[in-house]
Amino acid sequence: MRVRTLGLAGALALVVAAPVRSEAPRGRAWVHVRVDEPNRQSKVSVNLPISVVDAALQAAPEDIMSNGHIHLGRMGKHELSVSDLRKAWNEMKATGDAEFATVEDEDQKVRIARAGNLMLIHVEKPNGTESVRVEVPIEVVDALFSGQGEELNLRAGIAELQKRRGDIVRVHDDHSTVRIWIDEGN
Amino acid sequence: MLKMVLIGAVAVPAIAAGSVAATGVVVVDVKEPRGGHHFVVPVPLALAQVAAAFVPENKTRLHLGRDAERYLPVARQVLAALAEADDGELVRVEEPGQKVTIRKEGDMVRVSVDDGDEHVKVQVPISLALAVLPSAGSQVSASQAVFALQHARLTEVVNVQGRDGEQVSVTVY
Repeated sequence: MRVRTLGLAGALALVVAAPVRSEAPRGRAWVHVRVDEPNRQSKVSVNLPISVVDAALQAAPEDIMSNGHIHLGRMGKHELSVSDLRKAWNEMKATGDAEFATVEDEDQKVRIARAGNLMLIHVEKPNGTESVRVEVPIEVVDALFSGQGEELNLRAGIAELQKRRGDIVRVHDDHSTVRIWIDEGN
Repeated sequence: MLKMVLIGAVAVPAIAAGSVAATGVVVVDVKEPRGGHHFVVPVPLALAQVAAAFVPENKTRLHLGRDAERYLPVARQVLAALAEADDGELVRVEEPGQKVTIRKEGDMVRVSVDDGDEHVKVQVPISLALAVLPSAGSQVSASQAVFALQHARLTEVVNVQGRDGEQVSVTVY
């Protein structure tokens, strides 16, 4: 559970980011991942300079990534492609602040919205036992979609991340809490 | 004549000791528990390098495999970026009876594992790791690794305290 959660958290840390405040960055940015599992009395903490993440992306083998661009092709049974997502994103971006999706059922409430320069994805269980909050800055998504065709420009996304400070992802459930954020502390 | 012999008798060991000190010495220190044996094995780095040079190349080269070769540039870039980064704690894992930390301090990456009664500390200079990793190809040479230990002078590279009281340390002077 811990490894899977940490892996998910790390992957999310690479592709999304959100500012809590919009002050200009002063020093070198670090990505922090914390995973707490109180039932197992387990705490995992990973702190990485974003420059290290960027260096890894630059040197990644070409069949995985080329010049910081990752080729995804079509995904899932509905053949959703990166270029389709890019078109949808450009449409959504042009609409300004809006609720794109709100799904409420017995088990959970899902909200996808744009507020200012943030894309919000919030998932909550009614009894408050589980929640997921992902807040993605518009600039980061723009940067990711700045690739061509079926490519995501991961390096541009990371470059945007370097300007961000604050929480990116918070996940809370019965067994664990995960927090990913960026600051200048180490 | 006697004076010359005395000068030679003092100078030769002094030059030898100076050369060994200048090129470095690896000291392996093993203490057995409950007042057992205590071994201290000093190995001059220069001697180890010479010995490695005489061993057939195919015996001293470690093949890393194709996957490892693909990711060697990543490892080199990450280490180089880490060397430039600020100091700090990179990883901490705490579970009941176990604690693992990895810290970056200057050129050094310090790994500490406490597993109840067993304690392991490893300190690796980033420059040493960069020197060992091949810049091309997929082979790590033993003589290259020995030579790279020059980057770890005055460092206790490994310290292991076993649960039965045994202590092993490897220090480069």
